[in-house]
Amino acid sequence: MDAGILTQQLLNGLTIGAMYALIALGYTMVYGIIELINFAHGDVFMVGSFVTLWLLSTIGVQNTVNDPVALVGLLILMFAFSMVVMGLVGVLIERFAYRPLRRAPRLAPLITAIGVSFILQNIIQVLYGTAYFNVPQVIDPLAGFSFKLPSFAIGGFAVTSSLVTVTWVHVFIVVLAVAMMVALQVFVRRTNLGRAMRSTAIDREAAQLMGVDINTTIALTFFIGSALAGAAGVAWTLNYGLTKFDNGFQAGLKSFTAAVLGGIGNTTGAAIGGFLIAFIEVFSSQLGYSRWSEAIVFTILILVLVFKPTGILGQQVAERA
Amino acid sequence: MTAAARASWARFRGGHFFGRHQSFSVVVGMAIVTAILPFIVLAPPFSGFGTQTDFVDGFSQAGVWVLLAIGLNVVVGLAGLLDLGYAAFFAIGAYTYAYGASPYSGNHVAFWVMLLVGAAVAAMAGLLLGAPTLRLRGDYLAIVTLGFGEIVPVVFTNSDQYTNGTNGITALYQPSLINLSLPIPNLSGILPNLGLFQGSYGFGNPWPYYISVAAIISVVMILAYRLQDSRLGRAWMAIREDELAAASMGINTVTTKLLAFAIGASTSGLAGVYLSSKLSIVSPTQFGFTVSFTVLAMVVLGGMGNIWGVAAGAFVVYEIQSQGLKQLNVFVGQYFPNGLPIFGHVDFLTYQYLLYGLALVGMMLLRPEGLFPSRRRRQELHDVEDADAANVELVEA
Amino acid sequence: MKPRPIALLAVVAIVASACSSAASTPSPAGNTPAPGSSATPAPAGNTTVTLGVDLPLSGAETPNGQPTLNGVQLAVAENPVPGYTIKVVAKDDALNGVHDPQTGATNIGQFVNDSSVFGVVGPFNSNVAQAEIPVSNAAGLLQCSPANTNPGLTKGAAALQLRSTHPDQIAYVRVATTDDIQGQAGADIAYNVVGARTAYIVDDTETYGKGLADQFETTFKALGGTVVGHDGVGKSGQSDFTALLTAAKAKNPQFVYFGGVTATGGGLLRKQMAQLGMANIPFGGGDGISDGSAATANSFLNVAGPAGDPSTYMTVAAVSLIPDKAKFDADYKAKYGSEAGAYSASGYACTQILLQALKAVGPDRAKVRAYVTGQTPAPTFNTVLGNITFDANGDTSQHIISDYKFDPTTKDWAFFEQKDFTSGVTTTAPPAAAAPSAS
Repeated sequence: MDAGILTQQLLNGLTIGAMYALIALGYTMVYGIIELINFAHGDVFMVGSFVTLWLLSTIGVQNTVNDPVALVGLLILMFAFSMVVMGLVGVLIERFAYRPLRRAPRLAPLITAIGVSFILQNIIQVLYGTAYFNVPQVIDPLAGFSFKLPSFAIGGFAVTSSLVTVTWVHVFIVVLAVAMMVALQVFVRRTNLGRAMRSTAIDREAAQLMGVDINTTIALTFFIGSALAGAAGVAWTLNYGLTKFDNGFQAGLKSFTAAVLGGIGNTTGAAIGGFLIAFIEVFSSQLGYSRWSEAIVFTILILVLVFKPTGILGQQVAERA
Repeated sequence: MTAAARASWARFRGGHFFGRHQSFSVVVGMAIVTAILPFIVLAPPFSGFGTQTDFVDGFSQAGVWVLLAIGLNVVVGLAGLLDLGYAAFFAIGAYTYAYGASPYSGNHVAFWVMLLVGAAVAAMAGLLLGAPTLRLRGDYLAIVTLGFGEIVPVVFTNSDQYTNGTNGITALYQPSLINLSLPIPNLSGILPNLGLFQGSYGFGNPWPYYISVAAIISVVMILAYRLQDSRLGRAWMAIREDELAAASMGINTVTTKLLAFAIGASTSGLAGVYLSSKLSIVSPTQFGFTVSFTVLAMVVLGGMGNIWGVAAGAFVVYEIQSQGLKQLNVFVGQYFPNGLPIFGHVDFLTYQYLLYGLALVGMMLLRPEGLFPSRRRRQELHDVEDADAANVELVEA
Repeated sequence: MKPRPIALLAVVAIVASACSSAASTPSPAGNTPAPGSSATPAPAGNTTVTLGVDLPLSGAETPNGQPTLNGVQLAVAENPVPGYTIKVVAKDDALNGVHDPQTGATNIGQFVNDSSVFGVVGPFNSNVAQAEIPVSNAAGLLQCSPANTNPGLTKGAAALQLRSTHPDQIAYVRVATTDDIQGQAGADIAYNVVGARTAYIVDDTETYGKGLADQFETTFKALGGTVVGHDGVGKSGQSDFTALLTAAKAKNPQFVYFGGVTATGGGLLRKQMAQLGMANIPFGGGDGISDGSAATANSFLNVAGPAGDPSTYMTVAAVSLIPDKAKFDADYKAKYGSEAGAYSASGYACTQILLQALKAVGPDRAKVRAYVTGQTPAPTFNTVLGNITFDANGDTSQHIISDYKFDPTTKDWAFFEQKDFTSGVTTTAPPAAAAPSAS
């Protein structure tokens, strides 16, 4: 057995999972507060990567940035820009596509969500076309370090280790994602706005009576969720150096599945779901079943839901009439 | 459950079973539509877009979508279950026909038999998926069906030895049971280009397909109407409005939902059989999420719960998608050879999804009950608004 | 006579190409000789006949269809047939921006029903062809595909099923050689040029990619190599191949072969190989990754970026050293203002074949079909690709594959040899013929 490969695959899964988790947070927050599957969220993520592409080409960055100060500055700019722009896009989407339908039957906002998803994809398609687009990878994608795990044998069972490579980009993405998730938890638990969000999620009318501005709170939720998707968009370009107009669909689908798997409405669950799905994908590839990975992910999802109908961390919520 | 709901449930239970009346109007309605459509296209402006045969071929293709929409309407419109993987059953129906009637499998079962078999197999798949998952809450059910819709094409793509993999199965046999040329005198001299009277099913002769799909739609519509007005149909609507209340009135919600799921799936299977017999190939790429979603959009745009409405919605959306946008290009090209003022040359096909998205959003915002709302649905929607208006006043007071 | 509607489609196609000149726009006015559709002034007593074209012309597929359509238009303009005015009617087989078999079948059905159509150029995609061949076969309407390479369209039991109406009459021919030959060529590069004895294969689970990869596997094994793994990447839109490549790396392959196209992840795969320290493992693919130099936006080499390392190989099912390459490229550029696409010359060749048949036997479909595929011995067509004869299945006699290698100095594919799999003759490129972009 080669422990090195397994470790390498775990690290691969960690990076992919971090991005899924960031996107899944937006799904789960929006669902938690207005019980809407925001189908357009995956496309918000995709637009975030194109916004980054636009920013980099506008300020003329074409290659890896090696000066550490400049790199940090640029990364802050990229994340701030994409997060703010996508946050505002999210707020706009909520204002014009979902808010007017808050009292409509449940299916109505779902349909508009799919409509918005089409609109976002088509705008990018018209502006950029349908092929893969190169985005400069500002962090050198090859820089990193590698190590070897000790080889040992238990009885006749030898465990060897090939070289495990860790790149700084991967480290950066995982650390960033975890930091954002922690910050989100703190925000939701400790601040007044976070409290307003939680109370709105539990009982909108009661929260309103207690003086919570429902519209602002929901808009804020959309801002934060979409900003996280924007951050995931930047992380995506850092990692892959590429983007494509329909990236949002696949990534969104996986992230949404992650949110449901973890228990929709639960932010910790979304993170767990994200990593879980990434690990399932990575290990089906390791076993040579990459072409089946999608089917495996969804089969596991269905099985989990059959035996634990609310997802891993979800709580039983009464069906709303 | 409120007293009003109880009363309306009681009224439904005592309601008249007017299936025969509906059957009659469906047959007459479909006959009129089927007879008129091929002649409408002979008149301008349609005559400028294509020959009559082209149009009839398009109509028989549109029939597939009409069938799908009627089927999904049972699941979404009547029972209120959100199914995002409807294309999976479509695929299952199509592959069933491929096994039943192609050189690949070596079988050649008659098309009309395969219609029933395909529907039954798809219904079975619906039961298998639904039985363990229909206890889930609405949105969880949606994601399960979405997942199923993703799994099925992957399985068909990768099971090479059983499905011929990504190449699909080709050269499916075309229907042959009814030869429409026999009983009808040859009128081709009087009605030029009316291939109906010239032969049987085949490429380039869409007439038999057109007539058959109209007949299939009529039968499915009648069944749908009868179901809607039956005890089962009322149970679906009761579940849609308030599952808890429905259960406490003695409705077995799991069985009832399962039946909706299976019946919806069987219609999708039926459409799959028809489509694959017409196209004569099946391949896994034909049944992606876009299909599931397009059918859902058709149901919503047409007016959930209204059988004629969703059928019309499906027809209109398909025609716009497959013909309308292309023709828009032609029109603009004709009248503005140098491009539109301000916009210049615009390829409307490029904007297809944008227009589609805007239509969906706009429709939901302005007319959430769809183009042709069902009367009952509209009442409910307006009830909700009234109740909410009252609520808001209370809160603000 | 009322305006012929389909002619309008041709207008659209040209309007859409955004490089139309007044001269190249056919008039929508039906029977009147359209001044633009044929470059020569029409002689008196002209018959207007229609050349159907079915290609993906919208959405993501425009870069495939449009240059091919341009090739067709160019051929019509440059090869007048005395006594006939050729009207080019182009139909788009893309629905929602993706090539669609159903739409293709509808299009070919419309051509069948339009009695002025004497032949059809197209389709571009193999699964569209699967839906169209039964229709054209039943009607006896000859279609010539410039780009289809899937073997099952013409050979074996699958092909017999496709033409079940008239199994003995070939109504579908193509000028590109098949993927089985291309897969062989890929394996030949891996085994003989690179000297690899172990290979890892990735395909994109689509008709084209999987067919290519499977053929590579068969030939590579037959040559004596070992295939250490063969996996597929799920749906298009998948962007992460790190897990798959980590698994592949552990098996120490000496060659990685990709069956697929740039749009399903070819460039991405090569790029991520470099990120995983696999840049030194030679990489190969078929014509699906032949889409221009690293300077061309969105091309394979552009996506792969600096990772497109010297040892990246690619095969094209086309004749690179076409007899009059310089003239063709110049004419194309003069008319459309852009470089010819990968299949422009093939579209041109298909058109030439149909026009030569028209010239010989007139516009009667049955005669056109019989002229091209029903004669013994089969006639030889002199085309821009060279001399072409069609075999009993409708496949081209040119079993020629061009091999390219990434050149890090020009950052482009460099043609290095052309192999004829009929005769086994390998022609290496004269230095001057190094093609700037794959043809």
